[in-house]
Amino acid sequence: MATTEQPQGRSLGDRLYDGAFKNRLWKSIFRSGYPNTPRNQMLAVATNVFLHLHPTRIHRTHVKITHTFCLGGLSFFLFLGLTITGVLLMFYYVPSVERAYGDILALDTDVRFGKLMRNLHRWMAHGMVLTVLMHMMRVFYTGAYKPPREFNWVVGVVLLVLTLLLSFTGYLLPWDQLALWAITVGTNMVGSAPLLGEPNRFVLVGGFQVGQAALIRFYTLHVIGLPLLAAIFMTVHFWRIRRDGGLARPL
Amino acid sequence: MAVAEQAQPASRAVRARQRRVREEELLVWPDLVFVEFISAVLFLGLLAILSVLVDAILLDQANPAVTPNPSKAPWYFLNLQELLLHMHPALAGVIVPTVALIALGAIPYFDTSNDYQGEWLTSPRAWPNLVVGAVVGTVGTTLLIFYDASFHVRFYEWIVNPGEDRFLPGLSEDGQPIDNPDFNAWPESLNWLKSLRSLQTEVNWPTELEAIPLGSKVLRTDLLGLPAIDLDVNFPAMVVEQIIPVGAMVGLPLLLSAAAWKVGLAQTRRDHMILQFSGFIAVYVILTIIGTFFRGEGLELVPYTIFAHH
Repeated sequence: MATTEQPQGRSLGDRLYDGAFKNRLWKSIFRSGYPNTPRNQMLAVATNVFLHLHPTRIHRTHVKITHTFCLGGLSFFLFLGLTITGVLLMFYYVPSVERAYGDILALDTDVRFGKLMRNLHRWMAHGMVLTVLMHMMRVFYTGAYKPPREFNWVVGVVLLVLTLLLSFTGYLLPWDQLALWAITVGTNMVGSAPLLGEPNRFVLVGGFQVGQAALIRFYTLHVIGLPLLAAIFMTVHFWRIRRDGGLARPL
Repeated sequence: MAVAEQAQPASRAVRARQRRVREEELLVWPDLVFVEFISAVLFLGLLAILSVLVDAILLDQANPAVTPNPSKAPWYFLNLQELLLHMHPALAGVIVPTVALIALGAIPYFDTSNDYQGEWLTSPRAWPNLVVGAVVGTVGTTLLIFYDASFHVRFYEWIVNPGEDRFLPGLSEDGQPIDNPDFNAWPESLNWLKSLRSLQTEVNWPTELEAIPLGSKVLRTDLLGLPAIDLDVNFPAMVVEQIIPVGAMVGLPLLLSAAAWKVGLAQTRRDHMILQFSGFIAVYVILTIIGTFFRGEGLELVPYTIFAHH
């Protein structure tokens, strides 16, 4: 005859669990217990500064991959990846016309994982332009710009411009023929504006042609000015998503 | 309308806020956080593989004395560089992108209804408008570029000159015109239709139209503290570089919307927005593709890839 044996005291699993997640160290960091109950799962999101970008609960249609294709999230992911690889590249790169090209060559040949970092940075940059454009198309075709989200669409357009400018300023930094002449062509377009075009081009390039002044300007904009601006607008963008009631869905 | 009969809440934004349906909700941990985590890992992996396999391009050291032919902007600006070939640089480089961005930002202030949001293209006529906008944008842009590259002239000469080497038959191998009495060239009376620019160069404009003096009182740059500009208007150049391009960029989309409205394809503002936005994306994409892959030496319209040249 089978009998149901009640365990004498707590099982090993329970004791390990308590030891790992119910000690003072864990609780000092995470406050809530391990997120294996609905309560703890909601607390995990609500009490964590990073996860707090999300609401604690979300409509089931918004988790479907085909609703968003994760495009906005991917753009943010690429921004983070670009920040990390960019910081690593800054260790080796000096924005001077004498050194820049040599530093890039050294990254490709002398620095361990230097080439990987540079390649990652480059492909992530191209990828971010693409995902931001596709994210804009997704938002448009799902009608997600409609009230009350009008202003967040405008913030998104600003972020698109900032993304293009970030990529454009980074384009000059390798200081090869491609970089120099692409920026020359691009800044000449600015110079063709009526009246204030030429003064604007002069300020942007820091002279009559793309040289040392342009390199240091583009570098500064690329590594600090534009990323800061983008971070500010992204903060507004994400905040507004929450404030406007999460992702759009049919009324 | 049903909405009008109800008491109106304070603002459109309040009315538009969707109600929460608790039983339809999932917990963000794990249902969303895990999706985000997995896609982040997946894309990091894919990017790492891409970065191992394909190196970022690096040409020779920058040399201001050597201008590569062609010199191209980054790929996402090649659409603007393509426009530069067909119109005044101030238009292509600054005014068009500025107006386009403002128009993009203005979409929600034009299409103010909140019907059909949060779902992919569920409004009636959404797909037909998307397809028509995209096709008209693609075909129209391609045809305009072909026109400016005189493809219709080459096509005409190819049709009316039967024979073995009738492709580009009016030119020798090194591109020089051949004096061939049997060759039927594009009719001289239609030379002004060879390309957009030939409207300026192939028409006997009165010389006084090529420099209409407007003096320094039109552009009051002196008020901005800049040197005064004596403005001379070259009317034929203005037609080719400004009036026709602006007319095309403003008029053709308006014509498309009017036609779509007339045949009942675009009835609501959302319809018009889908039509125009799809057209805009198509034009953006096709200009980028042509600028990237079909502009070679001297920015001639020929197949081109940067990798074959370095």
